[in-house]
Amino acid sequence: MALGISSIPKRLHKTLGNLRTGIVLLLLVVVASALGTFILQRPVTDPEKLAQAYSPTTLLWLDRLSLTDIFHASWFLVLMGLVSLSIIVISVDRFPNAWRFYARPYRKTHVHFRGSLQKKIELPINNTEDGLNAAERALKKSGWPVESIADKSEPSLYSERHRFSVMAVYIVHASLLLIFAGGIIDGVFGYSGFMALQNGQTSNQIELRKGGTRQIPFSVKCNGAGQENYADGSPKRWWSKLAVVQNGQEIEAKEIVVNDPLVHQGLRFYQASFGSTGKLAGLKVAATPDTTGGTTKQSLAMPPPGSPRETTLPFNQPVQLDVNTTVTLAEYIPDFFIRDNQIFKRSDDPVNPAFRLQVKNAATGEDAKLWIFPAYNATAQGEKASYTFEYRDMDMGYYTGLEVSHEPGQWLVWGGVLLMGAGLFVAFYLVHMRVWVAAITNQQGNLVLWVGGQANKNRDRFEQKFGELVDNIRSELEGANVVPRSAKKQKPELTLAGVK
Amino acid sequence: MATRARVVQMEQPAAKGGNLLLILVGLSVTFLLIVALLGTAKAGGILFSESNLLYVALIFYAAAGALYMGFGVTGTSRYVTFASSATAIGLLANTLAVAHRWYQSGRPPFASIYEMLLSFVWTVALLTLIAEKKFGVRIIGSITMPLAVVCVILMQLLPSEVRPLVPALQSTWLHVHVTLAMLAYATCAVSFALAMMFLIQDNFQNESFLAWTSATVGAIYVAIVATRFEHGGLSVTAWDASTKSDMFLGRGMRLFVTVPDLGWLFLIGAVAAIAPLALYFIGRWRKDASVFGIANGAIFVSILLQVVVLAAFALRVRNASYPSPDQDGFFPTSLAASPFLLGGMVAGIFASLLYLMLLWRRSDLEALLPSEEALDRITYKTICIAFPLLTFMIATGAYWANRTWGSYWSWDPKETWAAITWLVYAGYLHMRITRGWRGRRAAYFAILGFGVVIFTFLGVTYLLPGLHAYA
Repeated sequence: MALGISSIPKRLHKTLGNLRTGIVLLLLVVVASALGTFILQRPVTDPEKLAQAYSPTTLLWLDRLSLTDIFHASWFLVLMGLVSLSIIVISVDRFPNAWRFYARPYRKTHVHFRGSLQKKIELPINNTEDGLNAAERALKKSGWPVESIADKSEPSLYSERHRFSVMAVYIVHASLLLIFAGGIIDGVFGYSGFMALQNGQTSNQIELRKGGTRQIPFSVKCNGAGQENYADGSPKRWWSKLAVVQNGQEIEAKEIVVNDPLVHQGLRFYQASFGSTGKLAGLKVAATPDTTGGTTKQSLAMPPPGSPRETTLPFNQPVQLDVNTTVTLAEYIPDFFIRDNQIFKRSDDPVNPAFRLQVKNAATGEDAKLWIFPAYNATAQGEKASYTFEYRDMDMGYYTGLEVSHEPGQWLVWGGVLLMGAGLFVAFYLVHMRVWVAAITNQQGNLVLWVGGQANKNRDRFEQKFGELVDNIRSELEGANVVPRSAKKQKPELTLAGVK
Repeated sequence: MATRARVVQMEQPAAKGGNLLLILVGLSVTFLLIVALLGTAKAGGILFSESNLLYVALIFYAAAGALYMGFGVTGTSRYVTFASSATAIGLLANTLAVAHRWYQSGRPPFASIYEMLLSFVWTVALLTLIAEKKFGVRIIGSITMPLAVVCVILMQLLPSEVRPLVPALQSTWLHVHVTLAMLAYATCAVSFALAMMFLIQDNFQNESFLAWTSATVGAIYVAIVATRFEHGGLSVTAWDASTKSDMFLGRGMRLFVTVPDLGWLFLIGAVAAIAPLALYFIGRWRKDASVFGIANGAIFVSILLQVVVLAAFALRVRNASYPSPDQDGFFPTSLAASPFLLGGMVAGIFASLLYLMLLWRRSDLEALLPSEEALDRITYKTICIAFPLLTFMIATGAYWANRTWGSYWSWDPKETWAAITWLVYAGYLHMRITRGWRGRRAAYFAILGFGVVIFTFLGVTYLLPGLHAYA
């Protein structure tokens, strides 16, 4: 009977609606998150590093329990879902009561209610109307809104401040749910990845962080990128000039730097890294026509003899030197050594490069091969060429690393954050304070002005305010023949006189 | 109830020999200042350099700490007057140091762990003065000032040159995020101090304080031994004096050298630190109160050994070369290479001394402190300030991360631990508001919260590296 079908939702509701369940769930989230920071996590850590840190069996079990990727594990998501559910159920359960309190504040006083109040005081008065009027004046003077409660037997005043703070806790919890919702939307519909572009390159493919690639609805072109350094060599600034290309047209362009992304159609492109491709983009040389050999004839298209001409040679693309002569950068060895009169590669670091140039002359049929060794300031020539070349500089190819992300839920997150800020402010710093004033006949049979008050938090501050208020009422009651200053002097005594 | 404490305070007669401590502290401050002044004049350095200002701050914070503790022990109200003046002077020097650095680098000092500590100490000192003047919690300096001193000593050892900002840190959000973090952490520190005082007022037994002190100090030493004990030696990071930085074997792999035999000394220190805890458990188990007396004796031994270990460590590690297990040859090391070992050891000594202060002068302390109700309420209020600050710290961090790393939340260790801190304080607020947790349970919660804060601030940076690698 206890496990009847109909009772299951009820039990579930009861369990989830229990604050203790909520706290236990939060504790589990804390433990799981802490584990996630101590155990190396999969997508961030290299597989080799994981293999280094854990033995194969340990790693196997960690993987099986999905402890190597806790924050994306299904059980963690379920846990977060349960936390959200618990917040919803608890809030829904408590909301009606709070709303009743908010919508229909308790304005009237009666004997039992008066007795239970946190702060109360009785001031002797001569007649009801004067007493209440004095209280109303005092309240208004202190900036309290006053409501007169018409009641034949017991006319009274009601005043309150910041009633809204009662609802603040619901705002805070709703904002938390909003943030979770944003996170869930991003988890389901969002994606993030990486795009590496070389200068002049255009791409619409991103490598997803989860693995695989994804095509985006437009292309991005890199129109230049660079790094600026501080004097000590550490990077100061990375920048990339990006352009959004759609149907062959550049429709938007922006120079992005770290901290300032390009946003287009909900996709954000962040400057994440900058690096060398390790490949040669071009070789800058000074070419001087060789006049001593006399094999070439002077022509108008040629520069005057002996004067060098600087030119950049891209890889494997012939460059026209004069009407008939072309030069091609045919081979590049980043780090060379020579053995048996042959050139070999030692490593990929461009520390000791060698370049092979091919000089061709269509008119003379010349086809000369020559090497340039910048580190030795030398050239080696196989055949006689009509030009001599001098090394100037090498342009290394570089790429700009772009982090790409699509987070459709982030606006919910920011909305939630702002709402939470507002909610916390109201919840912590706005105090719901209520004051009741009534003209009653007390137990001794005297007509008195009864003043009572209550605050939902920050009691000592309220005590102080209440004391000031009572001071004001008293001086209003005493009328014009009392100098206000003497009333002020009495203040400390009055505040302490507040009944606890 | 708050009035009770104040009344008792006024009745307290000025203790005899009340001037002695004042004279001693005054003399040492003057002496240290003159020595520093002569040193600077001789070296021909600039008088108002950042390191000099920081040194002045250190002297005055230490003096304030001594006077606050003196006040705690003797109850001489005059000490507090001098202590708060010393704190104020220290704060002034600290402010000038912050301003100097700000001016020199052209940006607020938030970019490295050194600069973070600089700002943190500044906030702690300011909050101490506020707590004292506004809330009348006069004894709070005896906890926060030693904390400030430990931090300033740590700072002397950390690389302090103004480094240019790496691209990711060049953002206005850096300042907003870090300011909030410092404020939040400092507020948490104050709530911790208040919760500890609550425990004193709430008749939390001396034996329990003893057990916790011993457990804390023991944890520090066991952690050191567990991570650094190397065949009887102690392994410390090698230090390159010319670049003022740790030496590295490879990317992210520090080069360690082994100081022979020092490991054994630390092991003895660890045993001595745990001994009082063990004795406490024996006393509880045998229900024999006399064992607690022995345990108090053991705390003395522990303090003595802690001082010996610290001195031996300082002497052996200071600018000497030792062999490395990973690489042939000898490599230099320096105190500067092990700021956290040193910080942990100094913190251990302070914790033990605070326990002694409590043990000897408990009744005086109780008379001096605000009532437990007041402390409970102020602790709660401090957390009510800290919690929104934590929230905004995380939110601004997330917003900034979204602009820099491409994602507002990437479960980076620092982020995750900030969230855990937030959850712990959220738990505190829930238990207090809806379950009515007051008093001791709430105080435990506040203490736990600060433990998590410290771990998030320092522990994560040094134990769990991630994206948040700057500090």
